[in-house]
Amino acid sequence: MTATVADGPRLHTGRQAAALGRRAVVRFARQPSSWVPATVFPLLLVAVNSSAMGGVANIPGVVPPGTTFLMFLLPAAIVQGVMFGGINGGSELATDIQGGFFDRLVASPVSRPAILVGRLAGAVAFGVVQAVFFQVVLWPFGADVVGGLPGRIVLVVVAGLLSLGLGSIAAGLAARTGQPEAVQGFFPLVFILLFLSSAFFPVQLMSGWYQRVAELNPLTWMVDGMRVQVLEGFSPGAAAVSIGVCLGICALGMLFATRQLQRRLAVAS
Amino acid sequence: MTKSTPPITAHQLVRAFGDVRAVDGVDLEVAEGEIFGFLGPNGAGKSTTVRMLTTLLRPTDGTATVAGFDVVRQPARVRAAIGVALQDAAIDPLMTGRELLHLQATLYGIGRSAGRTRSEELLDRVGLTEAADRLVGGYSGGMRRRLDLALALMHEPAVLFLDEPTTGLDPMSRVNLWDEVRRLNTEQGTTVFLTTQYLEEADELAHRVAIIDGGRIVREGAPSTLKSQVGLPSLIVDVQIGREDAAREALAGVGEYRPARAGRVAIGLFEGAAGAAEAVRVLDAAGIAIEHMELTTPTLDDVFAEATGRRLEGAEEATP
Repeated sequence: MTATVADGPRLHTGRQAAALGRRAVVRFARQPSSWVPATVFPLLLVAVNSSAMGGVANIPGVVPPGTTFLMFLLPAAIVQGVMFGGINGGSELATDIQGGFFDRLVASPVSRPAILVGRLAGAVAFGVVQAVFFQVVLWPFGADVVGGLPGRIVLVVVAGLLSLGLGSIAAGLAARTGQPEAVQGFFPLVFILLFLSSAFFPVQLMSGWYQRVAELNPLTWMVDGMRVQVLEGFSPGAAAVSIGVCLGICALGMLFATRQLQRRLAVAS
Repeated sequence: MTKSTPPITAHQLVRAFGDVRAVDGVDLEVAEGEIFGFLGPNGAGKSTTVRMLTTLLRPTDGTATVAGFDVVRQPARVRAAIGVALQDAAIDPLMTGRELLHLQATLYGIGRSAGRTRSEELLDRVGLTEAADRLVGGYSGGMRRRLDLALALMHEPAVLFLDEPTTGLDPMSRVNLWDEVRRLNTEQGTTVFLTTQYLEEADELAHRVAIIDGGRIVREGAPSTLKSQVGLPSLIVDVQIGREDAAREALAGVGEYRPARAGRVAIGLFEGAAGAAEAVRVLDAAGIAIEHMELTTPTLDDVFAEATGRRLEGAEEATP
């Protein structure tokens, strides 16, 4: 019998990762429970914060003249949406493990990196869509981006990278536990980290330990870099800080995910 | 795989989980073109053995080859050569049948055009063409199993592993799947390794079976051979009350005596099932009217009971 398997699995890693990435995106799109909260909750939070704390914008030095508190909150909305999406994307790996689809993949000649890359591709795609969506939806309400198209692109790139970083941490937890619930349990921790940053409130108006923690929180550096694009104009330096923080999260996340996946695969031959 | 290498071999295969040896020294040899039934109760070690043979689980000890490749040293070659339909049909419910087949083609390195053509062939083969664009979540259990089989056949594997393929299926779906496995084996010569806890399934499909219990193979051989080793087929004849002794006397040359209730005579036929006709003739010649007659042959459950002292169907103690 002639098997139609071609010249070995490694040559097909790209195609395999792309096919698994497509599957991740399709699954995401077909599960409203994955993307509706990630889309609606950030908008609600922005609406509430904007109404409740809009007056903060009148305090000198918080936002530049001619800008709004909604513009101040635009990066927060994007980051919050990306957090939902990235963690959901990672937890899908746990769903595959629990449901047996992971075994199907492992029993096939699919390249092992393609399993992880394909899964994270869905999270990145969603992060990019989120960044575009929030910019478009909030624009009519005054959430313009002073940095123009380059500034908007920075927001999209940061969103994609942050999705990859958070998605890989979530995928690592998925590989370790095999339980979607355990991965979802990671979300509150990330959310607390976001609240302990400048995402929703200016650092200069904070006080005491809270201000100190926020200043040291890398998420503050990332959000502030995005905020410069929105409130002041395109800044390559600020963009580099945001992207750098994301790349750091990506490096840690990918290392963790790869280790945990290797550990899970070690039981196989 | 060369002609001289059997598609599946295992030598003293062991898998331990802590102190528990789930598989405890299994030896196997499955011939090319054979349907091999791996029969045993839940927890006997069937799925653990399959997971080792399909490279999903590393053996603790022993060796195994599949399609001529060592499962530990050449796992990628093994994966490329086998088709696997695992227990519970782990099929993504949020994808359509056609999407999953296309994905499977890509995972096995089959080109886009060839993959699409092959997908249509397989959909047609398992009778899912009309349902191909529906989400798998809406499929019945039987449709999922057929799709699972189609996915496992995408790359025309030399060896096909089916792990409890009909568990949970209704009788009609079960028979349909058996037909498909049989067709695959006879038309394409695919070697099939089938685990099951259903005696009937092993009896219907397998050329040879191995019975596993407590991680060890307790019997191995063709179902007919194993059954014949357990004992003679029994003939049970209901006669008029009071005529039992006369009937036993008449049947003494046809079979060995077995105890039975009043109005009934039971014998183990010396010549096997073929001896039933002779039994009718001698009873007729003795003028004994037959009110009811039943021929029973040993089953694989009898084989299992003889080997383990327990019944596979139900948990009752085996009766001698």
